[in-house]
Amino acid sequence: MIGNNLKIAWRNMAKNKLYSFIKIGGFAFSIAICILIVLYIKHETSYNKFYPDMDRIYRLVIQLPIENKTERWVSLSAPVAPTLKAEIPSIEQTGRILPNPLFGAGSNQLSLNNSPDSHYDDGFVYVDQSILDMFPMPMVSGQLSHALDKPNTLVITRSKAEKYFKNDPIGQTIYLNNNKSKAYTITGVIEDMPNNSTLAGYSFFMSLAGEPFYQGEQTAWLNNNYTVYVKLKPNVSIALAEKEISKNYLEIHYLPEYLKSGRKLNPLFKQAKITLQNALDMHLKSADISDDKVSTLNRGDIRMVWTFATVALFILFIACINFINLSTANAATRAKEIGIRKTIGSSRKLLVGQFLVEAICYSVLSLIIGLFLSWLLLPVFNHLANKSLTIPWIAAYFFPSLLAAILVIGLLAGIYPALYLSKFKPITALKNNVIGSKSSLFRNSLVVFQFATSIILIVGALVTNKQINYILDKDLGFDKEQVIVLRGISTLSKQLPSLKNELKSLPNVTSVSMGDFLPVPIDGAKRNGNPFWVDGRKDFDMATQGQFWEIDQDYLNTFGLHLNKGRNFDPTRATDSSSAIINQKLADELHLKNPIGAKITNGNTWTVIGVVDDFIFESLKDKGYTGLCMTLQGNPSLLSIKVKPQHLKETLADITAVWDKFAPNQQINYSFLDEGFESLYQDVERTKNIFTCFALVAIFVAALGLFGLATYVTQQRTKEIGVRKVLGASAIRLLRLLSGDFIKLVFVALVIATPVAWWAMNQWLTDFNYRIEINWLYFILAGMSAILIALGTISYQTWKAIRANPVDSLRDE
Amino acid sequence: MIQLKNLFKWYNVGGTRSFVLKDVSLDIAEGDFISIMGPSGSGKSTLLNIIGMLDEPDEGQYIFMGENVLEMKAKKRTQLYQSHIGYVFQAYHLLDELTVYENIETPLIYKDISSKERKAIVADMLDRFGIVGKKDLFPAQLSGGQQQIVGIARALAGSPKLLLADEPTGNLNSKQGEEIMDLFKQLNDDGVTIIQVTHSEKNAEYGKRVVNMLDGQLK
Repeated sequence: MIGNNLKIAWRNMAKNKLYSFIKIGGFAFSIAICILIVLYIKHETSYNKFYPDMDRIYRLVIQLPIENKTERWVSLSAPVAPTLKAEIPSIEQTGRILPNPLFGAGSNQLSLNNSPDSHYDDGFVYVDQSILDMFPMPMVSGQLSHALDKPNTLVITRSKAEKYFKNDPIGQTIYLNNNKSKAYTITGVIEDMPNNSTLAGYSFFMSLAGEPFYQGEQTAWLNNNYTVYVKLKPNVSIALAEKEISKNYLEIHYLPEYLKSGRKLNPLFKQAKITLQNALDMHLKSADISDDKVSTLNRGDIRMVWTFATVALFILFIACINFINLSTANAATRAKEIGIRKTIGSSRKLLVGQFLVEAICYSVLSLIIGLFLSWLLLPVFNHLANKSLTIPWIAAYFFPSLLAAILVIGLLAGIYPALYLSKFKPITALKNNVIGSKSSLFRNSLVVFQFATSIILIVGALVTNKQINYILDKDLGFDKEQVIVLRGISTLSKQLPSLKNELKSLPNVTSVSMGDFLPVPIDGAKRNGNPFWVDGRKDFDMATQGQFWEIDQDYLNTFGLHLNKGRNFDPTRATDSSSAIINQKLADELHLKNPIGAKITNGNTWTVIGVVDDFIFESLKDKGYTGLCMTLQGNPSLLSIKVKPQHLKETLADITAVWDKFAPNQQINYSFLDEGFESLYQDVERTKNIFTCFALVAIFVAALGLFGLATYVTQQRTKEIGVRKVLGASAIRLLRLLSGDFIKLVFVALVIATPVAWWAMNQWLTDFNYRIEINWLYFILAGMSAILIALGTISYQTWKAIRANPVDSLRDE
Repeated sequence: MIQLKNLFKWYNVGGTRSFVLKDVSLDIAEGDFISIMGPSGSGKSTLLNIIGMLDEPDEGQYIFMGENVLEMKAKKRTQLYQSHIGYVFQAYHLLDELTVYENIETPLIYKDISSKERKAIVADMLDRFGIVGKKDLFPAQLSGGQQQIVGIARALAGSPKLLLADEPTGNLNSKQGEEIMDLFKQLNDDGVTIIQVTHSEKNAEYGKRVVNMLDGQLK
């Protein structure tokens, strides 16, 4: 019986090639998308799962209700970890990660042993030995358990070991940024971090043991630069541990230290508490943690996972709808067969079986093609989602779950047509009278659903597009164009002034500035956070939080900052070593009516000599800028060159030549500031691309479905069209008649989609402090494109029906 | 074999009943060969379809081989139908996607006959109707007469006791028609009960008995 059913199914497919193509094509395409999305979700939810004891490992998160939002962050001070371990018995182990570039994490120039060559590399991070114990990786060589116990030791990953060393790197030394006074000894090589690890992206793990970064740093409770992990003892209550830790940290240590420093306490601080975030939740549930991006190089977002999952389900659902629509659309041609089969002895059950087998055949074929398509599309998808997923061909679960999927999909899509078709009475079926009701609510709601989904996705694509353009075109208050940033200049130390002078004298260079505090937070650019007071008011006023930047006298010029009061730095004036230029925001927040000459303090006292207009130096997702105090000093590793737009190629060659003269052993490493700015919003760009792709897929699959429905309806109405034609209806009139119903459906879809899309996109936009308003034009545009696509899809069928000779359609019997 | 008692069938058209069958009673014995005649719309086909269990009357009784068909469950009816009734249509109604061989085989599959047995029966049928050479052709590749022979072979594959034919020669030329009628005659001689609907006096003469219908009533 099955064999026979398969044969029939195959011949039917071969007979209705166009239909089969649409059915299988639409299905395969959706399955491909679903496979990709399932792989993505599987990956996103697999973070840290491969480490042992994850149920006991937590990251400390501070939370504080500010206005009507709960702010969360993860940066804590150096003594937190050892103190908690010593003072709270339920904690088995604590560990710290220090990812801050201010201390030398991030990217560095690296040189080996006594070799003069210097190489740029990134993925540097400071960790405690206990971090490697909590997130253990197999060792390639060396011993993991005490690798980072000693000061100035370093564990590297296998790929870095292979990159720099021919033989066993254990015991070899490396220097960072030509600082020969500090040698790091390699004590271990571990396997590369899997990309679903919290530590993914890090490759050089430097020990935190030993000397503090500066005097008192290890005991300073108020300087928050570390991310702290704790491992609880087994069977410890989390709520209890949270309470103990909050109490210990805030009441016993932090707040007393705070008061001791003479600072005025913000009453909000009393509502702060420490929560424990399980290591398995860190990847997906940290989108709102503002400083998480500093310590985590590869961040996820649970909302993204939900969006993807919803889209996958919708697309699959749309494909099933198509199958149903096309199958029932084909009913008239199948009716005769059903009639005959019933008269030669088939029961309804057997017919249902036959149609289900047929549906499963379609889903099997679609799955094979879908699998192939997903394999083809994987690189594109990886690029879109910034992942490196692979298809787990050999995983034990892979083929069984596919098989299950085929069956479920086949049954889901096949059951309605099977029941519908097998219901036909043999006699009416043989007379070809099965037309069904003219306006099937079921079928119409399916079409509405499809188009509503498409419209939502089109609006999504439009809004994300607008938003990214808005961000990229936003006037930031400084000029990021034609600025070339050189990295790793700290290796040149004493030669830096002459390097700067030589670069400045190049024909197309307008200005050169050295300093790590670039207005765009690109790789290597530094940020910090300092409390500011008007000098003498420290004991009375609440501190104003702001950035404290070290720049040079060419900074304002290089980045086109506008000085609205006062003057620029002048290194020839001795007093300028204690002068500061602040931004308008800091002047406002400190209530400086006449800022020039005012004295402000962040521990050291500065005399304000100039005020610049506010400019946006943080992500546009956040506030964009805070108070800012800039002073004249520094030991920079970045150098910015403002060039003329013409002859860029020659200018770059000139710069490289100068660089090579100064640093023959170090390859030049430069990038463009505006590109760095764009890369800040790569995630937005990705969201935009993903929405665009999803919208295209959804509309494509929906159009296939509509094509089927149009076929069905025109078939149904052939006779009516014939009669109308005989009565003298014009082609235009008939076109309007036939298209009208579909356009109505699209309108209904638009009405349903509008509030959903509006709500969803508003949700998305709340992520951005600087955002566009959703314009009603987007909905009109989305609706128009849906209507146009619908019209285009049905035009073939309607045109065919209109052009048909009425004599043929009226001749039946 | 068949007893039809006071069959009525009607449609409601605008509040009034329009009768297709009006108080039809008919007894058919095993081995009979009946021709139902009458003008278009007289209810011939409806009567045939009711006998063939493809349609149901609105009122009346239908006894088939001692069993009350109208009170039977669908499953039982399908079984009864499968084992005793074969159907031949004016438009042949072969399955276009299936070959001659497969068309004849299909009802046997529905009867759950084993594959080996099916082969034997189909081979026998092909041989009996002289279409062995055509077994792998599709219906579209056959002439009308040949298609109808396949249709008859298919109807007889399940060795039914009753063969129902709705204008079996309607789409054929006279020579082909004669061949089909000769075949029917021969089948009847072999013991198959035949009921045919026909317009043709000549064809009706092949039967043992003629039933005339007009406006849903037997005359």
